[in-house]
Amino acid sequence: MALDLKNIVKEFGARTVVREVSLSANEGEFVVLLGPSGCGKTTLLRIVAGLESPDEGSVVLCGRDVTRLDPRDRDIAMVFQSYALYPHMPVEQNIAYPLKIRKRPAEEISRETRSVASRLGLAQLLDHYPRQLSGGERQRVALARAIIRRPKAFLMDEPLSNLDARLRVEMRAELKRLQHELGIVTLYVTHDQAEAMTLAHRIAVMRDGVLQQFATPAEVYHRPANTFVATFVGSPSMNLLKPPFGTRFGKADATLGIRPEDVELSLEEKRDWIAALVWVTEEMGNETLVVIKAGEEHITVRAPSATRLDFETPVWFRPRPEKVHWFDQAGKRMP
Amino acid sequence: MKTVLKYIGAVIALIVALAPIYWLVTISLKREIDQFAFPPRWIAFTPVLTHYREAFSSGSFSVYFTNSVILATVSTFAALTLGVPAAYALSRFTWPGDAREEIAYWILSTRLLPPIVTIVPLFLMLREAHLLNSLAGLALVYTAFNLPFVVWMMRGFFDEVPKEIEEAAMLDGESRGGALLRVVLPLVKPGLAATAVFCLIVAWNEFLFALILTQTEAAMTLPVGIASRVTQYEIKWGAMSAAGVVAMLPVLIFASAAQKYLVRGLSLGAVKG
Repeated sequence: MALDLKNIVKEFGARTVVREVSLSANEGEFVVLLGPSGCGKTTLLRIVAGLESPDEGSVVLCGRDVTRLDPRDRDIAMVFQSYALYPHMPVEQNIAYPLKIRKRPAEEISRETRSVASRLGLAQLLDHYPRQLSGGERQRVALARAIIRRPKAFLMDEPLSNLDARLRVEMRAELKRLQHELGIVTLYVTHDQAEAMTLAHRIAVMRDGVLQQFATPAEVYHRPANTFVATFVGSPSMNLLKPPFGTRFGKADATLGIRPEDVELSLEEKRDWIAALVWVTEEMGNETLVVIKAGEEHITVRAPSATRLDFETPVWFRPRPEKVHWFDQAGKRMP
Repeated sequence: MKTVLKYIGAVIALIVALAPIYWLVTISLKREIDQFAFPPRWIAFTPVLTHYREAFSSGSFSVYFTNSVILATVSTFAALTLGVPAAYALSRFTWPGDAREEIAYWILSTRLLPPIVTIVPLFLMLREAHLLNSLAGLALVYTAFNLPFVVWMMRGFFDEVPKEIEEAAMLDGESRGGALLRVVLPLVKPGLAATAVFCLIVAWNEFLFALILTQTEAAMTLPVGIASRVTQYEIKWGAMSAAGVVAMLPVLIFASAAQKYLVRGLSLGAVKG
């Protein structure tokens, strides 16, 4: 195991922000901590970094227990949401700083800095100060500063959230490629499920300090552990139809979950399909989202982009039987 | 029209602020007969340097001057050395019982007393410690007097520095002390300069404590020394003014040297990218 978190507990005063979280990441693995704000994911990251100390549990990095070590003795690099560049140093010194502290020879520092800078497209900006850079450039400098000393682990705290939408998608792909090339275990915090799905080898979904599910993106998407994960991952989110809706599909007191793409829609009445009215349609360009109303339930359906439906059009639908998820009354996935 | 009014306002403010200084400088250059002429001679008078000669010839002036330089420097340095770490701790660390604000206000409260109230206990304490009539005693008092100011002002500057920047430094391999020294302090340099200038000015101009706590020539500071030219039989306006002009110079020079930092330090936001 490259990184091993065991039963981490963290309290701030009377509030428990991380509750007995255990997870381990393999050599070179990209693990994303996903959850809404305030779920404890950033606190967990800061515990790994050594910026907070856990009340219980331990952090093991490459077989060494680092729980009580200072941040500087852990050999971990971190990229902050605000980038946290040193405002009084030009880009070159920002990138070189970790090596300078380690008193590497000047010639080596200069060579490494240039190589990392050109890798991230910063070669022309070495003598600029952070305040002269755009958001995307600052982001690259922060990345360059993190990778220059080849740490044992990378921590990233919502590194893309301050970028505009287009740049974010661009950097996301770049980041994935970079992590793959470096092969260093990475812990990445985000509240954006699309980022989590695209970047992660495995996603750790958190809520209220509790780890909900720790699995591959496909597993999290196709076999969510509970209703929270089911609705948090995927956009638009999974339809949850409360009892007694499930009765006609064989389970009276369970919640039925069905993804929008797994709902079949028809303009003609079919046997065993359920009648509904179109509530609203949203055209997205590549597809159309149709929200229909059956009884008291609203159900989102993913339809082809050509679909044109007026308000209140009568329709019939059914969940694809093999794609149905069942959740018990506590919201837990049923086998 | 608006700009004209603005300039008129600025000129009036300037005249009000500079008039006493102009008067001080001209008095120091006027013959006694011109000093008391009525109507006052604003510009037309015969400049002489006799008062400067008189002020410096006695020898005690250079003693006062040296004393003031030593006192201001030592007390400012001491107040910064003690106050900056305190301010940093108040800005960054969590305190037992969440007492951060209480401690900060307690420190500030020591400045709420009018100085005159503290003078008697201070006098008695310094007498017990055999520090009356000594620069060391006065330096101690000035340091204590400036300390709350340093703590409060520097705490504000430290609060301005995003916590992530020093956390980044610590992850990059710095200890907390190293991050403070090499990353945070350079960022609050303007604030540090502004604070130092204020401490210097306070210590340089201070009169009350110096008057009561030092009575010997050897430990006297400039303000007290100049005031002692008011004698039983005459007031030496010329010599006093000449000494006053010279006393103004060091602070003037220092403040203009630090002006670049002063403006940035006082307008905050200096570290925001």
